[in-house]
Amino acid sequence: MKAILFAGMIGIWATGAMAHSPLDATTPTNEATVTEMPTEVLMDFKGDIRLTRVAITHADTHSMDMDLGEQTAFTQEFALPMHDMGAGTYVIEWRGLGVDGHALNGTFSFTVE
Amino acid sequence: MPDAFDLAAIVTKFALYLGVMTAAGTVMATLMFRLDRTRGLAAAFAVLGLAATILAFSLRGANLTGDLSGMTDPEMLGLLWTTPVGTALLLRLVGLGLLIAGLFMGRVGAWVSALGGVVAIWSFDHVGHISSRDTTLLDIALTLHLLAVALWIGVLTPLKRLATSTVTFASAADVGHRFGVVATVAVPALIIVGGYMGYQLVGSLPALLDTGYGQALIIKVLLVGLLLGLAAANKLRFIPALRAGDPAAASHLSKSISVEWLVILAVLGTTAVLTTTLTLPT
Repeated sequence: MKAILFAGMIGIWATGAMAHSPLDATTPTNEATVTEMPTEVLMDFKGDIRLTRVAITHADTHSMDMDLGEQTAFTQEFALPMHDMGAGTYVIEWRGLGVDGHALNGTFSFTVE
Repeated sequence: MPDAFDLAAIVTKFALYLGVMTAAGTVMATLMFRLDRTRGLAAAFAVLGLAATILAFSLRGANLTGDLSGMTDPEMLGLLWTTPVGTALLLRLVGLGLLIAGLFMGRVGAWVSALGGVVAIWSFDHVGHISSRDTTLLDIALTLHLLAVALWIGVLTPLKRLATSTVTFASAADVGHRFGVVATVAVPALIIVGGYMGYQLVGSLPALLDTGYGQALIIKVLLVGLLLGLAAANKLRFIPALRAGDPAAASHLSKSISVEWLVILAVLGTTAVLTTTLTLPT
């Protein structure tokens, strides 16, 4: 019986996506292709959040953590300055904390021609 | 697929539920049914609850940074402290601390421990799917649900212990009978508030059948059904037989309680998955 329960639990747990993706919109939008490198990336959340980590990976090679020193409040909109690392796909992985104490995270990307 | 942190979060939450519910239930049952020799049991599960409380909080820090450094990062943990997660941490530490302190305080201590248990259980109203709904009725439902569950869990081990020695068969029959009386009120209440919360959180039949959350809830309900079957056998067959002086009933009761424990562990495990990695249907 234990084996069946265990298998059932694994099955269920595998279907569950990691909870909570409250990102309303980004600029550039997810999977967009832009001709020029934007000077900043805008993130617009559905509720108040405090960003705790943002990592940018360029063309699957260079990965860097953004300095979030200035972000010290719970808010809905963030403008994060971007460094031009040339053409290619930029993947932005973010983590944050909602005001209700929920950990939030997500990923979006855009491509610079 | 869940990563190592999700897995650690589920295991920690399982330990948290097991520790808090068993410790709180043991002191509640001790007070209600005047049980003896439950101090070691309550203390051990309270310590498990405390350890899991701290680890769970620390793991939330790791979730914020995406790596192990977050577990001890003062900025991340300080940030969490300002949210309801911090309130829940405080209530659990104070509640379990009171519960343990009460164990060493004699007669009054039983009340102090029970109060501590209730405070620790109340902490679950501050985080999670129920608290985000922000309705008092749901908060009350959750607290009642957890108190009834805790009492049920808390009576099992002392009752099993009484049923394993011929000297205490009479006490086992007595405690079992009195718990059965309480259960005729507590168990229907448990089912009603559980059903109410499930309906509020899931909302519709398709959501129940088609989402991971709904399916996990179905598994939980099936397990609880199994538990009710075992409890009914205890109440209607083994306890009356034991009261009538049938020694074989004690061994049946003891085995039945062991199986109940296994099912309860499965219920708590399913709940840990429900509350950790599964999203509510929208």
